Amino acid sequence: MDGIIESITQFATQEPGLFALIIGIVGAAVISGVVNIGAMFVIWGERKVLGDFAGRYGPNRVGGRWGILQLGADAIKFFTKEDIIPTKADKAVYVWAPIVASMATMLVAAAIPFGALHINGKDYPLVVANMDISAFYVEAALSLMSIAIFMAGYSSNNKYSMLGAFRGIARMIAYEVPMGICVIAVAIMAHSLNLVEIVQSQTLWYAFAQPLGFVIFLIALITDLGRIPFDQSEAEEEIISGYNTEYSGIRFGLLYFQEYISALLGSILLTLLFLGGWQGPIIPIPILDIISPLIWLFMKVVIVLWFFVWVRSSLFRLRIDQVTDLGWKWMLPLSLLNLGWAVLIGSYFA
Amino acid sequence: MGISDVIPVPVAVDEEIEKWTIFGQPVAEVWFTTTQKIHEIIEMGPIKNIFNWGRKNSIYFLMQPMGCCGVEMFVFGAAPYDSDRFGCIPRNTPRQTDVMIISGYITRKYLPVFKSLWEQMPEPKWCVAIGECAISGGPFYDSYNIIQNTADYFPIDVFIPGCPPRPEQFLEGLINLQEKIKQRKDKRGY
Amino acid sequence: MTTASEVLSSLQSTFPGAVLESRVESDRRLWATIDSAKLLDVCKYLRDKLNFDHYSGAGGLDWIARKEMEVVEIMASHGSHQVVAMLKVKTPRDNPSVPSLAGLFWNANWYEREAWEMFGINFEGHPEPYPLLLGEDLVGVWPWRKDFKGYPDLTTGQRAVERINPQGYMQYYIPPTPAEIEAGTVPKERPKYPSLREREERDIKSDSEMIMHMGPQHAMVPGPFLLDVLVEGERVKKAYLDLGYIHKGIEKIMENRTWLQGITYTDRMCYVASLSNNECYCGAVEKILGLEVPERAQYIRVILEELSRIQSHLIGTGEFLTLIAGVGYAPWQYMIIDRESIISLIESVTGARLTHTFVRFGGVRNDLPEGFAEKCRPVMDYMRSRINEFIALFEQDPIYHLRMDNVGSITPETGKRMGASGPVLRATGVAYDMRKEDPILLYPDLDFKVITGTKGDCHDRIDVRLREILESIHIIEQCLDRIPAGPIKTEAKIPKKIPAGEAYYRVEDPRGEMGMYVVSDGGDKPYRVKVRGPFYATFQTLPPLLEGVYIADVVAIAGSMDGCPSEADR
Repeated sequence: MDGIIESITQFATQEPGLFALIIGIVGAAVISGVVNIGAMFVIWGERKVLGDFAGRYGPNRVGGRWGILQLGADAIKFFTKEDIIPTKADKAVYVWAPIVASMATMLVAAAIPFGALHINGKDYPLVVANMDISAFYVEAALSLMSIAIFMAGYSSNNKYSMLGAFRGIARMIAYEVPMGICVIAVAIMAHSLNLVEIVQSQTLWYAFAQPLGFVIFLIALITDLGRIPFDQSEAEEEIISGYNTEYSGIRFGLLYFQEYISALLGSILLTLLFLGGWQGPIIPIPILDIISPLIWLFMKVVIVLWFFVWVRSSLFRLRIDQVTDLGWKWMLPLSLLNLGWAVLIGSYFA
Repeated sequence: MGISDVIPVPVAVDEEIEKWTIFGQPVAEVWFTTTQKIHEIIEMGPIKNIFNWGRKNSIYFLMQPMGCCGVEMFVFGAAPYDSDRFGCIPRNTPRQTDVMIISGYITRKYLPVFKSLWEQMPEPKWCVAIGECAISGGPFYDSYNIIQNTADYFPIDVFIPGCPPRPEQFLEGLINLQEKIKQRKDKRGY
Repeated sequence: MTTASEVLSSLQSTFPGAVLESRVESDRRLWATIDSAKLLDVCKYLRDKLNFDHYSGAGGLDWIARKEMEVVEIMASHGSHQVVAMLKVKTPRDNPSVPSLAGLFWNANWYEREAWEMFGINFEGHPEPYPLLLGEDLVGVWPWRKDFKGYPDLTTGQRAVERINPQGYMQYYIPPTPAEIEAGTVPKERPKYPSLREREERDIKSDSEMIMHMGPQHAMVPGPFLLDVLVEGERVKKAYLDLGYIHKGIEKIMENRTWLQGITYTDRMCYVASLSNNECYCGAVEKILGLEVPERAQYIRVILEELSRIQSHLIGTGEFLTLIAGVGYAPWQYMIIDRESIISLIESVTGARLTHTFVRFGGVRNDLPEGFAEKCRPVMDYMRSRINEFIALFEQDPIYHLRMDNVGSITPETGKRMGASGPVLRATGVAYDMRKEDPILLYPDLDFKVITGTKGDCHDRIDVRLREILESIHIIEQCLDRIPAGPIKTEAKIPKKIPAGEAYYRVEDPRGEMGMYVVSDGGDKPYRVKVRGPFYATFQTLPPLLEGVYIADVVAIAGSMDGCPSEADR
């Protein structure tokens, strides 16, 4: 094991460009596979947990008692549907909207660390592109999804899609600013914008050191992902499925999956920033001690996602003017307050 | 055509290759195939079974309550008679659904609306008729405003009789539709 | 407290010669035939001086043997007194024409449109004589007249022809039946409700406005109706409403089925609460026959109707919650699960989940099974605790208050003027409940309150419905304590041919005031059944309420009316 790491580090220092290229290609393939399969499990988990809150079972016929292969059947069905492009739709924008959505999520997945391997007392983070400003970059890239929503809504030549697109842009603009300010507040306390270093500097979880920032970031993240209580751009009963009204088949499948991939990546970001990331006691069993940071990250992400589904099944949806009111009149001043708090406490703890 | 028309190979090898088949089609013909041939292979072979397995296990239906059976449709999608167990969830837009459930009476005024909803649905699609009114007009069979012959307008695969049928009968109808899809006996011949 | 005879004598003294015939049926019912020239003055006098401020409905009748047509106007009062005046106006059959009451009573609009398109009675002075329930190809054939050749029609769907209409949409044109063509009654000119393009050209004033469909295919209420909104950005400026997408012609069909077969059709009108509809029809026929219902049957009827009210409110409220919270909202599924226990109680007595056909003339069909009270009481206790939980849950939810407070508010005067009834009117503060105004069966002996709200917005409407469930539980428990043994059907033999007569019977449907006007001419089939549905009147209030609200509120307001378009369309 040590010999392999030795030779890899030697190769990395001698040919940094080639090493980064190989990591990029291999990482892109692995990460897109992992993230898509992960999104399938997120959707499966959401349906099961929604059913549990409502006193019923979720899918439990396909693929055994737990219905694991349900999303596989959904994916196969989406692949084999007819491809319909409305006559008066703006064809190029219509076709590119789901692709831009997947580009947005892949851009996020490129820079976010998915955990670490604990080998011989050192943590090696699993990340494709270890950037110095990765916290800021990830938070900004998460909001590229709104461009895809707007493209989809505008190009469909449909009144419902257009309303969904406008609502999507309105909520994104209102909630990006508080979210960015909360990330900066965390970075001030951690003295770095690199997500790996933010995780490693959390002796006390930032959820307890900056509770206001945690709450604001949580609410802004739910809005960013377009989940209830903030899913007006996709409100089913009012505007008949909003921005993806005219999409069918694999194009709809892509848009649908990207929502849940960004849910997964957003909750990983939340865990890394506020809940200590992959930190946790090392399990003393031989194989598990190498992947124990992964296990801790996985458990925390599952709890955050379960919390999102809990919120979905218990809260009402807000009206769009109430959403923008909340964003500009309440979240923005409170996040500035949080920034001041972080500066004070950060200089105290430094 | 044969392999030896393109690459010079010995005659014995050529004859051997002529005997190979893939999914019931000779390899030599598949080698120089067209889209039509690929289509035929998919139609005949086990790939279609995988497609049909996917389609039958994730049926989305259009949320459209029309008559008395519409109330039972709400109950069918909700807690006690959960249809999500079978992967069957309601969607609001016809573009994302597979099954159109005719849950009640179709009147003269509503027929063109209904037909345009049906035509907006992408293939492959199926149709299920619930209740007596959807099958033949029901107790209103002699009214001036009710369409009695819905099967002439929509290719209905499963008829569920009753006035209104219980939600368990809806589930039985759903399972029958799944069987039909699996055995490729549905009306459109997918 | 005025009585019917006092009203009659007041009318006769103020307008001598206007009242042509009259009949005082009881303290609360007055039947009078009014001269058509003096109708407007009489109605104005009734409204202003005698407090008849509730215009309940109007229906047409075709007396083909006497060569005349009749319009029956039903007038009542919102709580000043309990008299119901049925005013009839006669007009010759060749050129039927009656003065329109749309200027005096705002909600007379739709009743007169319907009478016009079904019978051909011309209402002079009506502001918008568009067809309401019928599609384009049936207007002008007057379907409910007795000599309509297009009924019975067993081949409607087979005659349809596809064509593209001038606006470019595909349309099914169903030509008249061969019998009609032979009789020569097919009109050439057909007026119709303005189409989408015509409305767009007429009403859109600027580039930022558009007309958006929110129907007929929607998940707001269980049944299709057309709701188009003219929006600018997210604000609604005008709403258009059109019915008729599930018009089955029940009133015409019931004229061709025997009296007993007609009970099955009343089920299918408002299918969520079908026992009240059964009760209304059977009660009207019992009034014509003068039958007494035995006591045990009255108790069974009241118990089942209150159970039906509970389950109707549960599904109405639950369905509304999905509209403002999305399908994943958990309490709506809890309400459906609770409703299942009520439905199995009703099913153990009647045998059906939804369309019961349980009430018969002079009694009910079955007796309660053994051990019904022992099964019912635990369910009632459980429901009471659950409803209290739901009320507490919604009270403490801030987003619920954000979405529902002051949305779609109706003042009591507006509610009364628009003719609303049921929980929609009671939420504004008017205590108008048929169980107290026009008590039938056992309701005078039972102890219950009429639940009212304060502000008349969406929040109050849901609150009134949930608390009414508690009152119904209280009523059921009283009945279970006092139910006597005895026969469940009257001993008198019900004749096949009901003697000639007429009756108007009102019940409290979960959605409001439901009335049925039944006319018999001595045959074995009804001569005319006119249904005054609650949601027909509440529906009319929707377009004015929707002006100036957000799109998200449109769904909330339309859903909180808890309607059944099938009952409006019949």
